[in-house]
Amino acid sequence: MIHVNAMGDACPIPVVKTKNAIAQLGGPGSVETLVDNEIAVQNLTKMANQKGYAVRSEKLEPGKFRVVMTVGEPAEAETVAEEEACLVVPGSKQKNTVVVLSASTMGTGSDELGTALMKGFVYALCQQDTLPSTVLLYNGGAALSCEGSASLEDLKSLEAQGVEILTCGTCLNYYGLTEKLRVGQVTNMYAIAEKMMLADCIVRP
Amino acid sequence: MRQKKPALVITFSSTTAAIRMEAFCLEHNLPGRMIPVPREITAGCGLAWKAPTDAQEQLTQSMTQAGIQWEDLRILEL
Repeated sequence: MIHVNAMGDACPIPVVKTKNAIAQLGGPGSVETLVDNEIAVQNLTKMANQKGYAVRSEKLEPGKFRVVMTVGEPAEAETVAEEEACLVVPGSKQKNTVVVLSASTMGTGSDELGTALMKGFVYALCQQDTLPSTVLLYNGGAALSCEGSASLEDLKSLEAQGVEILTCGTCLNYYGLTEKLRVGQVTNMYAIAEKMMLADCIVRP
Repeated sequence: MRQKKPALVITFSSTTAAIRMEAFCLEHNLPGRMIPVPREITAGCGLAWKAPTDAQEQLTQSMTQAGIQWEDLRILEL
């Protein structure tokens, strides 16, 4: 098996590196690719399905995914999907929903009510049967993923259920919250723009 | 999939009463958190107080002493 480390690589580098590794195989064999985001998993899965390679993927830890492609076997994505430990992202089948929390309050009007509504929204979000793939937090919303936030446990519950929680690093820095982030990862504007551009649906309460 | 567990849910006659309940519980270090009123109770919009089932007596006693009126009190699988 050839191992490809595509952690930190932006689209389409993980796909390019994996294609090169498959070319190196020169015949039947497997390639394992490590990536740090779900979009890369989807892109790799799509590529494998197009080429007819067997593919399986799993989340190793938040921000770390393994995609294994096997060349020389028919695609077995459907049988793999039944294995509980494997998370198979069937490319276009799964809707890529991104929730954007851009303020610590929901709606405009009373801040007291808006704070209660936002708290209620994040709670209701983690009770849904279908969860978003990503929650982006920026500007006033960045405080929701930090120490002292009433939504912290709900965001942790979302993360535990496989939702990517990304908070704007510029915003954490501006509000002096950099050391207080308690859930998910820090992100930058390129990733925020990319997540929003690649989303099928953006939910902004 | 998320596991549902029994929880105590207390509803109030108004949104402001629910917000006051939150402030009261935070101030007195009482257990629970604010949630949107579950759909099992009403299809309408509202806020409720969710707490562990074993906190019922402590909460009702504290609310009674403080003169906080609640509308409904139920155990739900949430």
